[in-house]
Amino acid sequence: MTARTEHDERTDASAPPAPRPSRHPIATAVSVFGELLITAGLVLALFVAYSLWWTNVLADREADRQGDTVRSKWADGPGALDTKDGIGFLHVPAMKNGEVLVKKGTDPKTLNNGIAGYYTDPIPSALPWDDEGNFTLAAHRDGHGAKFHNIDKLKNGDALVFETKDTWYVYKVYKSLPETTKFNVDVIQPVPEESGVKKPGRYITLTTCTPVYTSKYRYIVWGELERTEKVDKDRTKPVELL
Amino acid sequence: MYGWIWRHLPGNAWVRGVIALVLVLAVVYALFQYVFPWAEPLLPFGEVTVDGASAGGAGAGQ
Repeated sequence: MTARTEHDERTDASAPPAPRPSRHPIATAVSVFGELLITAGLVLALFVAYSLWWTNVLADREADRQGDTVRSKWADGPGALDTKDGIGFLHVPAMKNGEVLVKKGTDPKTLNNGIAGYYTDPIPSALPWDDEGNFTLAAHRDGHGAKFHNIDKLKNGDALVFETKDTWYVYKVYKSLPETTKFNVDVIQPVPEESGVKKPGRYITLTTCTPVYTSKYRYIVWGELERTEKVDKDRTKPVELL
Repeated sequence: MYGWIWRHLPGNAWVRGVIALVLVLAVVYALFQYVFPWAEPLLPFGEVTVDGASAGGAGAGQ
């Protein structure tokens, strides 16, 4: 109904009481130009709605579906590592975003499904079960699920818990970098020296864009593995998630 | 422009209103389904990775 009302108003505005043939060509041109501007404004408003709302609807739906696929494959209880369809779920209580499915690769097609991806390029990510290395992840800050929207809420000591079929990996945040350029590839080095560490270890790195709603800079959070827990029959969560 | 469309729609005001509404919805659908998904990667709002590469329509980075 709203759309129709707008339409009617526009019609009135562009059709003055004067009989049509007598209208000056310039008046017609101005009227058409004005209507085009109004149209452009409406289209931009719709684009904002698309970016910040509709892509989230689509991505959350797709992420749920893909997450369910992984969960149902894990349903037979803990067992050998199963990384098909996704390597596991990232739980970050401080971000209040539930669980985030993690898959291979950080290309837009993957990330637009409302999941997080681990880097394969320019520096391949280590995986949590590797003896050492940096488990590097990227996800959207806004739109497309916005899984890392609350990355700025993370403080040192906050838990980042990664769940695979058979193990809980509990990381603790030890450093955040609120702003860096996208060229700063060093933040995802196997030993991310920019975060202050010097020795090889088992690190995790979250990257997303900042400030919110734009991609001008990148926001980085580093964590280090604190301990692992075997998944039991009931998938009892580690204390950090209770 | 919109006045021209309105005058060329058939039927009385009610019928025209319904047709206009359908047209508006069709346009919104086309935007959400085709135009915006095409335009979004060309705009620098969704890049979340560090890659050192230039944006160049790469969308969320590669």
